[in-house]
Amino acid sequence: MRLPEIGPFRAGFWHSPLRGPWLASVLSAALLPLVAVCALTGFASHWAYDTDLGRNAVWGGAAPGNGFDLYGLDWPADPAWLYAVTQGLHVITGVAAIPILLAKLWTVIPKLFENPPVLSPAHALERLSLVLLVGGTLFVFSTGVVNIQLWYPFGFSFVPAHYYGAIVMLAALALHVGLKLPVMRAAFRQRGVTAPLREGLDATEPEPGLPGVVTSAPHRPAAPTLTRRALLGGVGAASAGLAVMTTGQVAGGPLADLALLAPRGRGRGNGPNDFPVNKTFTAVGIPREKVGPGWRLLLHTPDERRAELTREDLLALPQVTAELPIACVEGWSTTQTWTGVRLSELARLAGVAGASQVEARSMQPRGVLRKATLNRGQLAHPDAMLALRVNGADLSLDHGYPARIIVPALPGVHCTKWVGKLVFS
Amino acid sequence: MAARFRQRYGAGPLHLLAVLASFAIAAYALGRALELTSNPDRIVIWLGGSIIAHDLVLLPLYATLGALLAGALLAGGRSSRVRIAALNHVRVPALASGLLLLVWYPLVAGPADRGFMRLTGLSKDVYLERWLLLSAALFAASAAIFLLRLPRLRRAAAR
Repeated sequence: MRLPEIGPFRAGFWHSPLRGPWLASVLSAALLPLVAVCALTGFASHWAYDTDLGRNAVWGGAAPGNGFDLYGLDWPADPAWLYAVTQGLHVITGVAAIPILLAKLWTVIPKLFENPPVLSPAHALERLSLVLLVGGTLFVFSTGVVNIQLWYPFGFSFVPAHYYGAIVMLAALALHVGLKLPVMRAAFRQRGVTAPLREGLDATEPEPGLPGVVTSAPHRPAAPTLTRRALLGGVGAASAGLAVMTTGQVAGGPLADLALLAPRGRGRGNGPNDFPVNKTFTAVGIPREKVGPGWRLLLHTPDERRAELTREDLLALPQVTAELPIACVEGWSTTQTWTGVRLSELARLAGVAGASQVEARSMQPRGVLRKATLNRGQLAHPDAMLALRVNGADLSLDHGYPARIIVPALPGVHCTKWVGKLVFS
Repeated sequence: MAARFRQRYGAGPLHLLAVLASFAIAAYALGRALELTSNPDRIVIWLGGSIIAHDLVLLPLYATLGALLAGALLAGGRSSRVRIAALNHVRVPALASGLLLLVWYPLVAGPADRGFMRLTGLSKDVYLERWLLLSAALFAASAAIFLLRLPRLRRAAAR
């Protein structure tokens, strides 16, 4: 059944001579590795939260079925840069994929208005799956992009929505790749993988399309105004430019100056505490007196209190100093020199030297991430500490004064600030 | 049997199995997302809305603007090499600037305002300025390159 030949449903409505299966294939070949890295590092981030420990699960408790529990392995504390790299890559590849994704959608838009709209049950199901693919992809990318800019207009919980949205996207993508691989192979055989990149404007002809396959090759092509080389070069440059801007928030150094529009590419000054902060002291609403001289660190086991220490007591204990990155789930990271008391030392003071877990509780009155449970490897790591000082100065209130958790490769949101209590078990 | 299936369904049985497997996983994940979040209706709105926003708003918008620009520059068969180059030297920086606005819209255009300042302790007013300056730089660089190319384009056109 054909729809009336009006608007975009009319054959010949879309007339760019550049559209076609070869262009779509090249863009897909560029997009796939980025999406793969983005997805793998995303799942790595879920792993890094160690959701099977304590109350770490952001949704639904530590029960099975909360995301992929198939890891069964603790997130490692070595190398220290692990989470900075995986989460940095997650955000960089995600942002860098956007221009390619938009170009790909531009290339295949005529297929949205295919006429007749349905050729067979198989074709109908495929088109339904494309709704999931395009919708899922736009959903995951848009929620991620606004989330790293600390804007939450969607009104649903970001973490499960972004996580399960990604699974919707990947399920549809796996099918799409399986079904379209033959088309990609045929397009590359027909046109050559790189041959169209060498055509000048005079030689830029419309793609012939593929026999027996509904493609986006135009019906009545217009004269070209751009070569395929220029189009793909522009898309690649846009992708590389966004990647460089976003990398500046991870790598620091000269690249940081290029992070012009990235949310965390900015220092706050040159002082020891002037590195970026995820949440300021004023944002979390802890009463001032709680972080004053009356502050005590409570060391507990699940059943009883074992010790109570002032900040002076802690400073009198053996100190460890380590240069460690702290990496945010939003993709930025910063490496600083931290000084504090080893967590293993505090476990010994609590009388549970062989503890396998510790839950650090913040004095924050609200928020799911005000407590975090660390695994055995993290607790035992010689650089894992309750930090009191940074870069030779006391921690500032924004960075967690009086004391905060610093553990190698631990996601930033688990590096609990304003710690009031440590529960060893 | 297999031939009849293919004729009725439009593809082989493996196609159907793959589609069903994909739908099953997607349905599970969608179900979990709807179950775990406080406002499930908002997820559906965001999912459908993102398709409409891209396919029926954003893409037609930039395609129309591009067509108007091309129409203005190349109208009446005046599609010389010089004019085509001029078109590209306008639409490339325009697309780049639009892309930056699209990606960093919350920071540039302001909706992230209050939360951003409260949470990070950073002011946010720099981003609009930076986007404008970046856009200006893109257009200026494109214009400069066009002027450098112009003599060669003219020579090529004269031949």
